[in-house]
Amino acid sequence: MTKPRLGIFSLTGCAGDQLQILNMEDELLNLVARFHIVDFQEGSSHKESGPIDIAFVEGSVSTETDLRHLKEIRERSSVLIAFGNCATDGCVQAMRNGETTLAQRLKDVYGVEPDYYDALESKPIREYVKVDFSIPGCPVEKDEVVKAITSLLHGDSPLGYSYPVCVECKLHEYPCVIVEDNKPCLGPVVRAGCEARCPGLGLDCIGCRGPVEDGSNFAAELQMLLDKGYTEEFIMNRLRIFSGELPEDFLGGAK
Amino acid sequence: MLINILEKENLVEFFEAMQSYGEVVAPVRATDNAHRFQPVKGIDELDLDYTRTMIPPKKYFIQPKETLFTFNKEKEKYLEPPSIDKSMVLLGVHACDINAMNLLARVFMEELPDKYYLERRKNSVIVGVSCTPDEKCFCKSTGTDYAQEGFELFLHDIGDKYLVRVGSLKGHNIVKDHSELFAAPEKGDLDAFKEAEKTRLSSFTIEIEMSGLQDHLDMSYDDPLWAEYAEKCLGCGSCNLVCPRCRCYDVQDYINLDMNTGERVRMWYSCMLKDHGLVAGGHNFRPTSMERLRNRINCKGSLREEMPNCVGCGRCTVFCPADIDFVEILQKVRGDIK
Ligand code: SF4
Ligand code: SF4
Ligand code: SF4
Ligand code: SF4
Repeated sequence: MTKPRLGIFSLTGCAGDQLQILNMEDELLNLVARFHIVDFQEGSSHKESGPIDIAFVEGSVSTETDLRHLKEIRERSSVLIAFGNCATDGCVQAMRNGETTLAQRLKDVYGVEPDYYDALESKPIREYVKVDFSIPGCPVEKDEVVKAITSLLHGDSPLGYSYPVCVECKLHEYPCVIVEDNKPCLGPVVRAGCEARCPGLGLDCIGCRGPVEDGSNFAAELQMLLDKGYTEEFIMNRLRIFSGELPEDFLGGAK
Repeated sequence: MLINILEKENLVEFFEAMQSYGEVVAPVRATDNAHRFQPVKGIDELDLDYTRTMIPPKKYFIQPKETLFTFNKEKEKYLEPPSIDKSMVLLGVHACDINAMNLLARVFMEELPDKYYLERRKNSVIVGVSCTPDEKCFCKSTGTDYAQEGFELFLHDIGDKYLVRVGSLKGHNIVKDHSELFAAPEKGDLDAFKEAEKTRLSSFTIEIEMSGLQDHLDMSYDDPLWAEYAEKCLGCGSCNLVCPRCRCYDVQDYINLDMNTGERVRMWYSCMLKDHGLVAGGHNFRPTSMERLRNRINCKGSLREEMPNCVGCGRCTVFCPADIDFVEILQKVRGDIK
């Protein structure tokens, strides 16, 4: 059997998700052996052109160069996976989207005219190309990456996390920081998959895995935290640290 | 009914005797609101005078998340995890949780025998302990505040002694093998038990009427109250995951990168989560949170062999991050409050 051709690409981001693949020390050799790797910037300078079976794309689209690169990857790939929160939800570089214009920000921060860089407003890749599957996280969880890859190798579509952090929090029997301490936990509206790492340390979830898109109730989360005395500005800022560009129907109520 | 008396000053010896039946797990204070069942090595670690744990003791029979077996495609075989036949003593279980496990036992030991549940229950000793209800307990309403079966021994606090009821042959043998720890009850002990029960029963502060509740729920199917509560509900699933009576789970197979070995994993699941109602073809028979909430309350308020699917432990109310009050919903359904 010929090995599937795998490409791992970066747009604008910290490359932490590619690094997570290199961090999979126990599985790395097995992983590399299963694929023909055509592109993996962080792992090797070797690059090949031609079609790709599975493309992992990390980073957000923040420049014209990113956008050209992304479109070219999409054309070459059968399956395209948004990899990490920059690619899935825009992450930190998108947290001020919609507040001021990009031109204004370029002027305020860098003191340059809008055309000085080839910058675009940072967006998750779903804004420009069809995304077949998303692996969120800042950075991604190794376990989820391995599960997605084995599903694909097996010919199945990978299973994402459709439920919130609270589920894992309860399965681990971590005390709920909202119930116990009135902390502004975003766990009820944020995708599981981290094994409720922060509540496990007594901390509130700040949403590094992005929103649960379907079935969560952000309006209720907002109201609950407002009732506890947190301001809307504080809650929205927190939510947007890792998810600058929220899915359109997320901010609504009960679904 | 076999009754014995255990002096509290013999509790250390009793605890040590229990250790000979397996690892002792007992309630330990975890937070202001909750205790946690966990392994204990000495009597000073546990707290028998507790109200509720967040996660019920059923976690020892059907674990929150567990590997059911690993498999090897090449050799066409599967292996079960090694921990399934471990002996265990659950010390300090409340009547509501015992009654909840009695229903689980029917499901997992009789209707659809589950070897994991069966094996673990067979290898365990359950020791109940009496309790004092707090302002969220309503097990008296659900008729689950007293355990008649489903335990080996049940300790009733009657001051400086425990009145110990024997609930099984295994329990009888425990008493027989440690007869030096127990004494026959005297008239005063029985009177003390009756007094303690009176005090306990008069301590409940909330109640719901169970009579005809199922019909009341049916008649409230189109009531606007479901949408009102759904607006507040986060859809987080906590209410199911802390419930001693809930028994929904999800099963997934994972293969390893060698494409040859893998595991089957089971984890607790919740009907408040959207994909609980998702079936093949993409159809979801409870697509809105209103329908999910209504379904959950209907499930809880319905009877199974004369027992409601709720044992009145109060956990779902106490641990709901959105402060949704389960009893308040049922009182509205009945028209007791507006
Ligand atoms: S601590 Fe946060 S994640 Fe955990 S149950 Fe509470 S709200 Fe959910
Ligand atoms: S911030 Fe939330 S999603 Fe991220 S690791 Fe912590 S608990 Fe998990
Ligand atoms: S429905 Fe609520 S009160 Fe009833 S048994 Fe379950 S957690 Fe306890
Ligand atoms: S615990 Fe509360 S907020 Fe969470 S699903 Fe249940 S009722 Fe809704």
